Amino acid sequence: MLYLPTGIVLTNAVVEDGVPTLAPFVEVLTDPFYFGALADVFADPLAIGEHLQSLAGWIAGISVSLTVVFSVPLPSVSLEIPIPWLAIDIPGVRQGLFGFTAYQAALSTVASVAIGLPAAYVLANYEFYGRQTLRSLTILPFVLPGIMVAVGFYAMFGRSGTLNTILGGVGLGPFAFVESNPLAIVILAHAFYNAPLVARITVAAWESVDVRAVETARSLGASERRAFRDVVVPQLAPAVLTGALLTFIFTFMTFPIVLALGGLQLATVEVWIYDRIQRLDYTEAATLAVLETILSLGLTYAYLRYESAQTGLSQAASPPPKEALFPDLQTTLSPRRLAILGYGLVALVLFVGPLISLVIGSVTDGSGFTLRNYAFLLERQLEGESFQTQPWPAIRNSLLFGVATLFIAVPMGIVISVLTVRAGRSGTIIDTLAMLPLAVSGVVFGIGLLQGLVFGISLPGGWQFQVTGAVAIVVAHAVAAYPFVTRNVSPLLSSLDPAMVESARALGASRFRALLDIELPLVASGIVAGAAFAFAISIGEFSSTVILASGSESYTMPVAVERYLGRRSGPAIAMGTLLLLVTAASFVVIDRVGGRYEL
Amino acid sequence: MRRRTFVGTLGGGAIAGFAGCLSREDTDDENGDANGDANGGSNGDEQTPDPEPENPDLEGTLEVVSYESMIDEETAAGPWLKEAFESEFPDAELEWTLLPDQGINYYINSAEQGESIDADVYLGLNIDDLVSVDDNLAEGGLFRELNTDRIERSGRIRDGLDMGDPHDRVLAYDTGYISLVYDETEVDEPQTFEDLLESEYEESLLAQNAQTSDPGQAFLLWTIDAFGEDGYLDYWADLEDNGVRVLDSWNDSYNGAYMNEERPMVVSYSTDQVFASASGHDLSRHQVGFLNDQGYANPEGMAIFEDATQVDLAYAFLDFVLSNSAQAEIAERNVQFPAVEDEHVDLDDEFDEYAHVPPEAVTIGYDDLRGNLDGWVDDWAREYASQ
Repeated sequence: MLYLPTGIVLTNAVVEDGVPTLAPFVEVLTDPFYFGALADVFADPLAIGEHLQSLAGWIAGISVSLTVVFSVPLPSVSLEIPIPWLAIDIPGVRQGLFGFTAYQAALSTVASVAIGLPAAYVLANYEFYGRQTLRSLTILPFVLPGIMVAVGFYAMFGRSGTLNTILGGVGLGPFAFVESNPLAIVILAHAFYNAPLVARITVAAWESVDVRAVETARSLGASERRAFRDVVVPQLAPAVLTGALLTFIFTFMTFPIVLALGGLQLATVEVWIYDRIQRLDYTEAATLAVLETILSLGLTYAYLRYESAQTGLSQAASPPPKEALFPDLQTTLSPRRLAILGYGLVALVLFVGPLISLVIGSVTDGSGFTLRNYAFLLERQLEGESFQTQPWPAIRNSLLFGVATLFIAVPMGIVISVLTVRAGRSGTIIDTLAMLPLAVSGVVFGIGLLQGLVFGISLPGGWQFQVTGAVAIVVAHAVAAYPFVTRNVSPLLSSLDPAMVESARALGASRFRALLDIELPLVASGIVAGAAFAFAISIGEFSSTVILASGSESYTMPVAVERYLGRRSGPAIAMGTLLLLVTAASFVVIDRVGGRYEL
Repeated sequence: MRRRTFVGTLGGGAIAGFAGCLSREDTDDENGDANGDANGGSNGDEQTPDPEPENPDLEGTLEVVSYESMIDEETAAGPWLKEAFESEFPDAELEWTLLPDQGINYYINSAEQGESIDADVYLGLNIDDLVSVDDNLAEGGLFRELNTDRIERSGRIRDGLDMGDPHDRVLAYDTGYISLVYDETEVDEPQTFEDLLESEYEESLLAQNAQTSDPGQAFLLWTIDAFGEDGYLDYWADLEDNGVRVLDSWNDSYNGAYMNEERPMVVSYSTDQVFASASGHDLSRHQVGFLNDQGYANPEGMAIFEDATQVDLAYAFLDFVLSNSAQAEIAERNVQFPAVEDEHVDLDDEFDEYAHVPPEAVTIGYDDLRGNLDGWVDDWAREYASQ
């Protein structure tokens, strides 16, 4: 279901008129538009002297100077503080499309980790009212269709957006947040999607840190900071890096967000793949996709090698106790609590702002409050024709596909996890290949599904292999989702003490029994986190769903949102708000039900 | 295909395996000829296509493909068309099919793979779709050459809405005009393309990506019409220097950026005020501007698939769409301009007041687009996205 469609598309890159060829690769690799300065190197790899010379010229061009810059003057306050600043002047390098894509992905990853980690810290270490619900909702941004996030960001950060309205209330602004630095806004939008992912994976790991190990270190004389660095950090690192890796891969393959907020100047490789496919130029599309996939898989392999080197820390499910976040006023005023409050404010603006602005957008129009958008949905549900998209089937299908995805993706993810953890070095390669669904561009996967499954593949004897409708959608979702289960479970599983399983086996438990009674409960937090992701992927998946649901009744909520987007956005935003509410409710349920097994 | 879909879904669901996904192709591969050899009329063999039968078969189900806003918007014309068509032809049923996400490419792909196409009529074909068909399939493919004698009202179509197809496969049923929409409280109306390069309009225009957006591509073609194949990239380079912002889709640029007052000008449709006044917006922010006193016309056409099974009904439908009442309803509900001369359509005064027609309509025709469109868009995008 994955390898077949992908294979069909990728074959286009290496076979021309039935003859294997590498010409498309050479063409792309030597095109400065794609690879910038590197293209010369690819074009003539043996002219090492020449390349070194141009590298030396570039390095010579770098200069460092000490300058004084003035902090951003506010229009009404006009406060200017001189700040000495080390200005590094780097001569421009033509990055090419791949270079730029990697650059923005790297920035997005740094931003996502920087914003996600504090959230993980707070959620894992403090107890406060609504913590569990908040933890459930961290996954919410993940399911939002790109267009909704873009509209939400404009509604929040736009010149007439919510933030400027609030700032205007205290006499500041309006600021052109989106206009003045599109790249920064795109990176923030990527953080909106991916910081919660980093946070969620890290919290799952943090909560399975064995607090006894920390206590042992402390009793042996380690300072609190030292114990954290030597005991806790090594256990968190694989999770943080998993989050960072996933973020990098996702933002490398980003498509709608960059174009909706940044515009064509910030186009990525995926944009070109999509365009090539629109123009029915499958060869170049496939070539770009192969290069993209090689890059992601290479990174994944490198990471997995690192991860498997991290094993051997025995741990038990004895999570650290949680402090109350705001026990009394005095504690609240401590620097650490104030920093958390400050972070909370930033998170409120970044995460809650766009969502709230969307909800507001669904109940207002040019002239004020209105319920017209919801009335449209209701009317469409009650009186709509069968060929029109109705809200309830979309909600029902989304939930149904989500649950069905869980039933396939969770066992599949765990099995792959168990297999690879036990397989050692060769497991790394299997594991890397198991990550393929994340490394393959959604556009390519979608078009592969279309060519391979929807149109059907002719088999010898006049038989036709064809999959469409609900089954195909669920399988596509499950394929996209299982790597998340694997990635959440594997680090925990590999750091389990094998002695525990061996003891169970020695006492007469079967291998399966040991898995069920010993290993699974110990990695339950990872499974629940993975399951939530699987569900989220299913709810939010758009590009293959829309292709597989074409002309059938199997449309989901994001597809419905997209379908309602005609010339005016009201009903689409209302449908998007429904998507938010239904999904939020589902996640609270999943986490609450799953939470029981977390102990 | 529909039956196989159904069998596939049912079987797959019941057995939870791939058993139901295997089906036997029981018909001979009769759709291979969709790629052109049925168009004998175009290669010398001059015979009238689809001669009019004595007793046209006007019974059965006509399957019509159209895009979403035709059938699925608040005031969409589709449901009205279905009802009116069925009351005029009582033995017929009109079934709408939503255009798949890949648009015309879906059908080009189907034809390339030898899949049969179930639909009879395609409503919403642009000139560039037609070019795409002919650039990828054999020329004259996918749709039937029309016998316009069978479509009485085809003579009503305005001059200039000829879609330029050398194989006469398509008839226009409405048209829209790409224009600028601007906020008169912030900027004056720009009169010419050169005006947009003035400092007055620095960082004020929102346009769309011609790779992904229809109005975006139309605006690009408009600049090619104005500056020529050799001059348009220079113009765009100047526009870029003056800070034009190119977003992905009409939706991103309009509902996202423009409505949030990021910028005072956006490439949009000359019918914008119809929506703005219906939504209660202040019209000062919805002024329509025609550069060089022009608007870029995007006529939308209808065509009958080569594989159509209900050919007689399909001809009847095409004729019906050009009738007075259908033209008025499509225009007002879809907010596009009718394709027929004024005397054949009665529009509400409100529509006349808010929907603006440019003094001069320009379009790059089929012949010029053939073989060039992809290259133009590609060059533009590379110029624009290169870091």
